[in-house]
Amino acid sequence: MTRFLNGLLRLRRGPWEMLASILIALGVVMLMQPLFLWAYTWSFLVTLTGTVMFIVVSHFPE
Amino acid sequence: MTQTPIERAAAATPPAIVTRVKGISDRTLAWIFVAPTIFLLLAINIFPLIWTIRLSLTNYRANRTNAEVEWVGLRNYERILTDGDIWHSMQATAHFLIWTIVLQVLIGFTLAYLINKKFKGNDLWTTIIVLPMMLSPAVVGNFWTFLYQPQIGLFNYVVSFFSGVDPSSFSMIGSVNLAPWAIVIVDTWMWTPFVMLICLAGLRSIPDYIYEAAAIDRASPWRQFWTITVPMVLPFLMLAVLFRGIENFKMFDMVTLLTGGGPGSTTELTSITLKREAFEKWRTGYSSAYAIILFVTVFGLASIYVKALNKVKER
Amino acid sequence: MSDFSVIAATPRQKWIAGSLVVLYAVITILPLVWIVATGFKSPADAIAYPPKVVFEPTLEGYVNLFTTRSRATPETLETLGPPDSWYDRIVRQYGMVISGPSRYGERFLNSVIIGFGSTFLSVFLGTLAAYAFSRFKVPLKDDLLFFILSTRMMPPIAVAIPIFLMFRTLGLSDTHLGMILLYTAVNISLSVWLLKGFIDEIPREYEEAALIDGYTRFQAFRKVVLPQAATGIASTAIFCLIFAWNEYAFAVLLTSGTAQTAPPFIPTIIGVGKDWPAVAAGTTLFLIPVMVFTIMLRKHLLRGITFGAVRK
Repeated sequence: MTRFLNGLLRLRRGPWEMLASILIALGVVMLMQPLFLWAYTWSFLVTLTGTVMFIVVSHFPE
Repeated sequence: MTQTPIERAAAATPPAIVTRVKGISDRTLAWIFVAPTIFLLLAINIFPLIWTIRLSLTNYRANRTNAEVEWVGLRNYERILTDGDIWHSMQATAHFLIWTIVLQVLIGFTLAYLINKKFKGNDLWTTIIVLPMMLSPAVVGNFWTFLYQPQIGLFNYVVSFFSGVDPSSFSMIGSVNLAPWAIVIVDTWMWTPFVMLICLAGLRSIPDYIYEAAAIDRASPWRQFWTITVPMVLPFLMLAVLFRGIENFKMFDMVTLLTGGGPGSTTELTSITLKREAFEKWRTGYSSAYAIILFVTVFGLASIYVKALNKVKER
Repeated sequence: MSDFSVIAATPRQKWIAGSLVVLYAVITILPLVWIVATGFKSPADAIAYPPKVVFEPTLEGYVNLFTTRSRATPETLETLGPPDSWYDRIVRQYGMVISGPSRYGERFLNSVIIGFGSTFLSVFLGTLAAYAFSRFKVPLKDDLLFFILSTRMMPPIAVAIPIFLMFRTLGLSDTHLGMILLYTAVNISLSVWLLKGFIDEIPREYEEAALIDGYTRFQAFRKVVLPQAATGIASTAIFCLIFAWNEYAFAVLLTSGTAQTAPPFIPTIIGVGKDWPAVAAGTTLFLIPVMVFTIMLRKHLLRGITFGAVRK
């Protein structure tokens, strides 16, 4: 966990990609869950953030 | 301008001879080779995509080209993301997605595990199992409507043969409760071999010595399965799940032909709703916004997929 | 493998595994066998209950698939004289006469033209690009490769809206050229990724030797790399062909007449008469080429479906 946080602070690719993937996955779950309309409404923004983040952070050094 | 003798000679030589002597430089050749592909993709994928984004901010309708186009900002997105019907079609997609993945992973992994026992003739049977995967989804959906016919269909007959239920008493594609399962069954029939093939590659990538070492340590077969087989196959399984997830999220052809989204809207997956909005109701601007939402989701999942792909490649 | 191996399955395990797999294979192939069989049934046999396993084979389905027929009164039938061919005879049994060929042949031909055209283009362009990605330093290589792959992932319906408008403006809707270009664009990602994998496997030393022998880079590519990559190119081509052959979403939205391929046409065969044998016949003819290709490809199947990532 400390390694993960360290990687985030030092702008390493691995942990940031992980974070972006989690955001995308969260967005997809929010999009398709049957429980909360508000989650569905905000899902697109979450997925979009995750996707843009993924594109940016995949250029960070390993 | 000062020139070296070589440069002067090069400038004086006709270009055709230069290329014949030196050949085109690698850098130029690389660009010549890559450019047509990139150009084609820009023209047929990226340009339309940008156009879609533009359309998504308007109230344009493709069947009324003379009507004045109004700039509506993000209102289309707002309407879609608060629309209960579209939310409902997302849930129908989720049902389809989750069950196809669960069934395909369970059956596909089991089959791969069994085939990996290397019994006689396993190649032949693998080839037979793989066949449905390569067929046209639209044509498959179409002929399954025949197999699902209440009275005469093979599927209903087989079910009634084993369960004793009257074959004309239920209709897989006509009933609200059964239709979501009808599409799950056909997709599972079609795509289980895909998961199976990938799992098989995963199983075959495990070197024998790991099992030998485990046997020397007297690890039980059960323990070997959970501590060696499953973790080693997991990246491959991840790949299969992501790929099927993306494909089924945008599923259109097979389901359109099988149920057409019906009965009611029980099997109306996202792409079918999109087609209806765009090409039947002709709400081009609105459906463009919807298309962008689907596209961003797929693109996000695709980034994760490529990451998983590279992970497997390293093995 | 020695008898004492701890990893090899025992004969008993093999027998159990084998019979389970065979059972699954039989279940999975049953729907296909059923469709092929239905193509040879008479319309009455096709909708019989209980479903008929043993039946008298007839070519009615195939005759109905390729012809359009009209009902004739008994008097006109008499004036026509005896049927002059086997297919005439089949049709006359129902008091019908053949009035012309159906659209199936045309649609099938369209599938062939568009399939081969787009396959040729995407493999040609794909080979060039794959070679460049495999051997040269291309700026932003990883990004370009990801971009190429991501175009394959786009939902077809999502890009169909602007492509529909674009084709309408350029006059490409319902033309062979339009469909060939479109399918090329979809297939090229697969073609580049697969071929890059195949070319990566060819040792660079061959080309380097050729370059020292005085070949130019392009000659080395043409005379050394291409022959080495022949198998890879062939299997990539088959994958592209299968995709273009099977595609439905673009075909149904962008074609309606002259350039319509078989997949959007086959569901319309059924018509009002519920002519299941004809549908089954059309389906069978359409699926057989793909099945043959799949069997030919079985060694490379995994590569094809994972964009060359898993090589076995």
